[in-house]
Amino acid sequence: MRIGDITKTKSKGQYRLFGTEYSLRETIAGLSFLAPCFLLSVVFVFLPIAISLSYAFTDANMLRLDSVNFIGFDNFVRLFQDASIGKALTNTLIFVGCVIPLQFGTALGLALILNHIKRFNTFLRWAFFCPVMLSLAVTSMLWMNLLNPQEGLINALILALGGNPMMFLEDPDQAMGCIIFISAWQGAGYQMLILLSGLKNIPKDLYEAAEIDRASKWQQFLNVTLPGLKPTMVFVLITMIIGAFRICVQPMIMTDGGPLDSTLTMSLYIYKQGVEYRDVGYSSAIAMVYTVIIAAVSLTLRKVLGGDNEA
Amino acid sequence: MEPTYGKIASAKIHRKPNLGKIGKKALIVLGLAVLCFIFLFPIVWMVDNSFKDGDTISAQLGSIMTFLPPSFDISTWFVSYEKLFNSFDGFGRSILNSIIYCGVTILGVLLINSFAGYALARFKFPGNKAMTTIILILMIVPIETSVVPTYIILYYLGLLEEPMSVLGYLLPGFGSLFYTYMFRQYFLGMPIEIEEAARIDGCSRIGVFFKMILPLSKPVFATVAIFTFMGQWNEYIFAQLMFPNPAMQPLQVFLQLVNTNTPKDLGMIMASLTFSTIPIALVYIFAQKYIIEGVSFTGLK
Repeated sequence: MRIGDITKTKSKGQYRLFGTEYSLRETIAGLSFLAPCFLLSVVFVFLPIAISLSYAFTDANMLRLDSVNFIGFDNFVRLFQDASIGKALTNTLIFVGCVIPLQFGTALGLALILNHIKRFNTFLRWAFFCPVMLSLAVTSMLWMNLLNPQEGLINALILALGGNPMMFLEDPDQAMGCIIFISAWQGAGYQMLILLSGLKNIPKDLYEAAEIDRASKWQQFLNVTLPGLKPTMVFVLITMIIGAFRICVQPMIMTDGGPLDSTLTMSLYIYKQGVEYRDVGYSSAIAMVYTVIIAAVSLTLRKVLGGDNEA
Repeated sequence: MEPTYGKIASAKIHRKPNLGKIGKKALIVLGLAVLCFIFLFPIVWMVDNSFKDGDTISAQLGSIMTFLPPSFDISTWFVSYEKLFNSFDGFGRSILNSIIYCGVTILGVLLINSFAGYALARFKFPGNKAMTTIILILMIVPIETSVVPTYIILYYLGLLEEPMSVLGYLLPGFGSLFYTYMFRQYFLGMPIEIEEAARIDGCSRIGVFFKMILPLSKPVFATVAIFTFMGQWNEYIFAQLMFPNPAMQPLQVFLQLVNTNTPKDLGMIMASLTFSTIPIALVYIFAQKYIIEGVSFTGLK
């Protein structure tokens, strides 16, 4: 225990709580250091959770927050009958299921290749990292214009090459695919950088030892690279998956959930119910259920992937 | 360079020229080139076409011209930028807004969370360990779902109306459990002896923090500052909810105004997107070291 080691001098302001000695002065000093953050956390972390939990059982409406009525489990009953929820959950799962392999695969492949390439290395790293520098809003607006069916660059190129123009974000069958591609395009460079720094941390002598044992390149990859990179990969995968479950900005800007709800995601639906339809009670109920789902996914991932390297 | 020559030489001795290997290399080069094109062409096109006017962009769309640099006449390059700043008075203002929001958030986040991290790392008081555990649990809860409840809290606090809405927008971002935890971990790893020496010399707690801790933990402060900047600069959802008035909006939200403006002017849109990326790109370029360090720190968590 190093906490409290600082005060070696015994003063008279000592008190005991649950069998431990504390110094009154140190308690006061420590709590004052903590106070601003503690206050803000209570108001903007605990309270929102508490509000979500309690409003989920009410008919709270953004326009009349003064009269809130308890309505029991009505919101949850409604939730199970709401076709849009099923759609939003399916869309989110499709997004997560597609974007993770695409983005992670690209990032891992690029990291492995760039780790070996000497020529153009810096250029390539910056090239793949470039989209990361665009914010989500800029990425969304840029691609929205590129994919515009009438006056977008992509259709112009397709036409020039003799193909048939497509509707992209305006076609219910293509919109989600576009958003998946755009998200992977924007994010892969970031994970590539993390994986690259993970690869650099694998001790060189492990490869030399493998070389002496006449291990082939493939065997070296399986027995040195993969185990050495595992902690980094686990971390990247977990943060990516949790992030993917929260997708909201891209459909919000590009499609507003449409066409025909084909890009409506859970986070967007929660936002829309609360802000656009002003149905805070219902929005809170969905948020509560979805938070439980995400927390469960997060904990399961940590268990399954063995990313239990917390403090 | 020498080792490479050595390798090539030995390969020549031991094997005949290996066609499969050359083919594999060609495949990798080709793959990288294609990927490079996919990753870069939208951005290159965006920057390139921000230097053309809207009509030129539309006219060039189907031809190779669209990827070529703007005309040789430099005076025409900034037509779209000029038009952008002239037709949207608020554009410059929104950049300033973004910078102000980012600056204030960085200051608040650094001060408030380093204090809290220091308290958790170095002070013995009831509830210290419990709080650290609670932080770890709460970090799992996703933030996005709390946009609506946060808005309601701000309503009750009276922080939704115009001048106060700035405070309402910024306050929730100040206290970050994640950064508090990051500071705590960093301070725990620092030797305690210098602090003890300073304390014996009669330095106050707050004096120790600002005179000893702060100068010694620049890396963690820099990392948190940069991550806060990136997060705040890119923030979109909460800002567009809090600021219906364009004069208060940060850049990311204001961009949508340019983007959805009719009649559509691709030159102006590309100029706005390009211009808004310059500050964050500079941060990435100059702070790359801290970003990688920060990322590997979060990876260790």
